[in-house]
Amino acid sequence: MVTGTRQNHENAPLAPTTGLVIDGVVLVRGMRVIQPALSHVIAPGRMSLLTGPNGSGKSTLLRAIAGRLRPIAGSISCAAPILYVGHADGLAASLSGRRNLGDWAGLNGLPVDAPGDAPGDAGMIDTALASFAAGPFADLPVRMLSRGQRRRLALARLALSPERALWLLDEPAAGLDRAAQADLDRLITAHLDRGGMVLAATHTPLGSGHDHDELALEAHP
Amino acid sequence: MTGRAMSATVITPLGAQIRRDIALGWRGRGQALVMLGFFLIIITLFPLATGPDAAQLRPIAIPVIWIAAMLASLAGFTRIFADDVRCGWVDQVALSPLPLALYALAKAVVHWALTALPMLVATPLMGLMLYLEPAGMPALLLALALGTMALTLLGLIGAALTEGARGGNGLLAVLVLPLAVPVLIFGVLASTPADGGIVTPHLMLLGAVLLVLLALAPLVAAMALAEAEAETGA
Repeated sequence: MVTGTRQNHENAPLAPTTGLVIDGVVLVRGMRVIQPALSHVIAPGRMSLLTGPNGSGKSTLLRAIAGRLRPIAGSISCAAPILYVGHADGLAASLSGRRNLGDWAGLNGLPVDAPGDAPGDAGMIDTALASFAAGPFADLPVRMLSRGQRRRLALARLALSPERALWLLDEPAAGLDRAAQADLDRLITAHLDRGGMVLAATHTPLGSGHDHDELALEAHP
Repeated sequence: MTGRAMSATVITPLGAQIRRDIALGWRGRGQALVMLGFFLIIITLFPLATGPDAAQLRPIAIPVIWIAAMLASLAGFTRIFADDVRCGWVDQVALSPLPLALYALAKAVVHWALTALPMLVATPLMGLMLYLEPAGMPALLLALALGTMALTLLGLIGAALTEGARGGNGLLAVLVLPLAVPVLIFGVLASTPADGGIVTPHLMLLGAVLLVLLALAPLVAAMALAEAEAETGA
């Protein structure tokens, strides 16, 4: 079990940022309109839960906010840097969880300090892994891990990149056991305390201790 | 942001991406070996079909090696982006400081090094089998190196465009092979310099094709990948 020293900047308030404004967004899948007009605002320090029946466009909306698809009408504005944990975990099956997380940190230009630089000082990756108790299986190829274990590795990015103000989480709790759900809850609460924003497509209550808004999508068959 | 600061913020992510691709390529080296095997088998079929007659084999040696390289390369292109799109890595790249075009270029460079380079190493042996004069080998290898780079960049465009399209494999071949015709023509001509000098106008034209593709292919691939999505559900 790796116990990491929590980085100081993880608890420091985020730089002031503007909220997320979704204005009259029209979402389509294929040639079909699935949401004719969506508007919603998330202010700094607030969380919104995105709910709705299957196929109502929850993942599509998150992808649109992440800039991975262009809505055919309406606007989405957010100046804050985005951290997106999508439906897919973003982990290469043949590499270890630690390697995947390290690659992600490198991709984002994060200063990855190697563990063991100073006695008792765990590296940044170890700290992030520890936040989801992912240390014990971090050196196995992702191929060998369960769905919940992969989810924990994907979510460990939340602890790795705390300066990204807007978290977009697509079914973050899917496959997580109780302990991991509590870990996620703790991270979200800390993020909101620091003035971060969360938009999560979920049916599980998250971030206890903070009230939240709800963005309920309706099915448009 | 100054140019220097800008390049510094891109170089670390680019290095991380290249190291990741090398690690992935090494773990998936079976696929590169299959491509090399394909290259060797296509060439070996010719002496078996025509008989080991130097007068028959020598004139077709260079075209045979080129076509084998093209077909073997084609077999590997679909895999360039497939895993990254499916597992959601491209989503993470899109939100990172690394531009998608540089990500695509990194993919192409590593793909070339892991798949085309082994073919180049095996080419002298294959040339020997087809009664190719050893003196002509440097020109062939140089042209083949430039040609496979150009092919990889064409494959990059094809792979990005067909990502998400069902039956993308056949589509990719239909898309890439016609565009590869100039590479084949200049490549074969550059491999057989008439006056003995290696740098011929044909080689320069091949180099020009490569440079144009080097500038365009990563940008086109990035546009195609901008909204590439893992198939969810199903």
